[in-house]
Amino acid sequence: MKYNSIIIGGGLAGLTSAIRCAEAGLKTALISAGDSALTFASGSIDVLGIRQNNSLVQYPFEEISHLPSGHPYQKLGAGQVKQSLHFFTGQMAKAGIQMSSHGQQNHSRLTALGAIRPTWLSQPGTKALSIAAPAAGLRRVAIINIAGFRDFQPALVAAGMKKHPEFAGVEFTVADINAETVNINARNAYELRSLEMARLLKRDLFSQPKGLTIFASAIQKAAGNADLVVLPSVLAVENGNELISQLEAHTGLHICELATLPPSLPGMRMANALRQRYRELGGLLLEGDEVLSGYFDNNKLNSIKTRLNPSMPLEADHFILATGSFFSRGLDSNQSSLTDKTFNLDVVEAGQREQWSNERFLNGHQHGFSYFGIETNERFNPYQNGKAITNLYCAGGVLGGFNPVAEASAGGVAISTGWFAANQIIAQRSGSSGTAK
Amino acid sequence: MLNLINTSFDNCIKCTVCTTRCPVAEANPDYPGPKQAGPDGERLRIKNPELYDEALKHCTNCKRCEVACPSGVHVGTVIQLAKAKHGGFKKGPREFMLSHTDLMGSLSSPAAPVVNTVTRLKPVKKLLDKTLGIDERRTLPKYTGQTFRSWFNKQSGTQEQFKRKISFFHGCFTNYNDPTVGKHLVSVLNAMNIGVSLMKKEKCCGVPLIANGFFDKARKNAELNMNQFARSLTETECVIATEPSCTMTLRDEYPEVLDVDNSEVKDRIFFASAFIAREFARGNQPDMKPVKLRVAYHSPCHLIKAGGVIHTMELLNSIPGLEVIMLDQKCCGLSGTYGFKKENYSTSQSIGQGIFDQIEALGVDYVVTDCESCKMQVEMNTGHTVLHPLTLLAQSLT
Repeated sequence: MKYNSIIIGGGLAGLTSAIRCAEAGLKTALISAGDSALTFASGSIDVLGIRQNNSLVQYPFEEISHLPSGHPYQKLGAGQVKQSLHFFTGQMAKAGIQMSSHGQQNHSRLTALGAIRPTWLSQPGTKALSIAAPAAGLRRVAIINIAGFRDFQPALVAAGMKKHPEFAGVEFTVADINAETVNINARNAYELRSLEMARLLKRDLFSQPKGLTIFASAIQKAAGNADLVVLPSVLAVENGNELISQLEAHTGLHICELATLPPSLPGMRMANALRQRYRELGGLLLEGDEVLSGYFDNNKLNSIKTRLNPSMPLEADHFILATGSFFSRGLDSNQSSLTDKTFNLDVVEAGQREQWSNERFLNGHQHGFSYFGIETNERFNPYQNGKAITNLYCAGGVLGGFNPVAEASAGGVAISTGWFAANQIIAQRSGSSGTAK
Repeated sequence: MLNLINTSFDNCIKCTVCTTRCPVAEANPDYPGPKQAGPDGERLRIKNPELYDEALKHCTNCKRCEVACPSGVHVGTVIQLAKAKHGGFKKGPREFMLSHTDLMGSLSSPAAPVVNTVTRLKPVKKLLDKTLGIDERRTLPKYTGQTFRSWFNKQSGTQEQFKRKISFFHGCFTNYNDPTVGKHLVSVLNAMNIGVSLMKKEKCCGVPLIANGFFDKARKNAELNMNQFARSLTETECVIATEPSCTMTLRDEYPEVLDVDNSEVKDRIFFASAFIAREFARGNQPDMKPVKLRVAYHSPCHLIKAGGVIHTMELLNSIPGLEVIMLDQKCCGLSGTYGFKKENYSTSQSIGQGIFDQIEALGVDYVVTDCESCKMQVEMNTGHTVLHPLTLLAQSLT
């Protein structure tokens, strides 16, 4: 069986490229070995937020030219990065989620530990704070939990926020909403994860005619006249953003949801929207299968063998490898070496084992391993034994040369490199007349 | 006693992705979800089997947790084995009836017209509900008067004349309930110059037996089937099944769940679509005429798990004139015998509601799916007739 394009990896990079290919009319298949890291993600898209010296980036696209030459953004240039994000925002809107940005400027988002992180694109339920002055206009912040829910700790959020000098003059209120107040009946509240809380609220509260009003008045009572109300993201998976805006209308308060410990509902919402969009475009999604190996010939990848159908290799004209980094099992390491698990492609020189990481894990300094990944040429083709594979592209976390965490760039790199890889394939196909059957 | 326990469930990193995809956990708050019932519970059960949780009975074994798991944990299997090991199955007359599909088939089929009439009567359904706990709102499967095997025997001579031959594992439903799909497989393969042969004997693959805790019986069936396969494969290329759950069980569950070694034949067991799609790709494609229909395709849970959706889609897309809309990959809720049980009826219906609504909104001519259980559920809950992909292929033969 032959496809125009086969994408390996169902995360942000894989889904973006798959949507781009399917929209261009290519016969596309996406293979995903289990759910992606989107289920753990914040639901915002970081493009480029932090410099090497730890200072905040205000204008991410302007900053791209200052990055080192091996960085994926340098290969793309600011113009293409911008275009890819524009494409992504459009696709999310078509799937029902209106992402928002502050023009060319980054904004700040809160985390469940009370940290303030720079980001560029957020869902409406995440209240964007100013990048330069995150506490501007805030005198009182109320942090509210549903009593018994353990994956969110309001006191921790408050303590984290207070560490920022900006928030020195802000008054914090920490409060709980009791399950009885909102008529929810949990078997064991302390066993619930965010998703289970959302299902419970849907069943016991929001499906009732007065559910929304009951919850709104509980928030009002707990929050008083706060300028910003912070809630864990536990209210709803689908239409969570709409629910928050309805609650804002009812209460007259500004409500901000924070992604909790996994599963993260804003991340799930994004993943669901992208999968739905891909399906609508006629793309084929193969979940729960894994690529075991590839058949390479003459510097091209001809076909791949998968775990579930080992005797039936899948052929394609072009492939995109978007398997993610160590956590997503795209990259693997042992005591002395680093490998790409799927095809054994050439990876960046990792150096001595002692230099892979800092002695202290969270001391604010960068770790060497964050930059590890597959080495690619200007077109994001990887190398095998020094030779470029011309019909295979790499995208997202599997790429080397950038530090997704320290520079706050994971989402932007995934989207822009995925989009770019798909564009290369589309351009080559319109240049040739061959079609896959 | 060290190292005797399989601790592969420890690959679970507690991310809860499995629960995000669990149709039962979404519909029924009494089920704590696959993470707690599976790997979390297993840790506790190793310490003390008395911590076995009643809630395990809610799992339908749809395997969506395994498809979603990023860490490769066999969540569904852990749950099934825990249930089996700690006596978590209720094995009453209802469970016996629902799971022994070949026995029930061989008893009912000879009296099919009577059985079919009787099982449609309201008082009878009420009686089954009250005495056995088979929900009265459920449409019961019909039986066929002429089994697939007896139909096949009449024309096995024709099949002998083909140079290439495959073995067909027809399964209980095709043999005793509705032989249509089997007949269509024969005509499609014949059009591709491939003959069909049956195993001398075959037993139920075991999927309903596993789901109801009859592991010993399932293992016996598995051993018989594997012997038959080995024998049959000396004269044929491979074994083909048209039912996704049968295929998954024969290929993957025999070693994983029943501990029956199938390594000798495993690579030669194929889902029908996979085998035919591979033949098409190699150029062995019959002439096809347009089938001008708009259909919605529903992908069965066990076909997703076995990696077979790609082949069915390939076949449907190869039929000229056919417009195929892929439904959201959600569970239909019946899960074989699960939805027939009174206590599961509302969970089963609420799981399937999303699919039913989507089908009604699309306004298609037919619904297409590979699974007989999904077919029953969709036909009972929508105004649509459900066809097997092979039926459409058979229609397109010139």
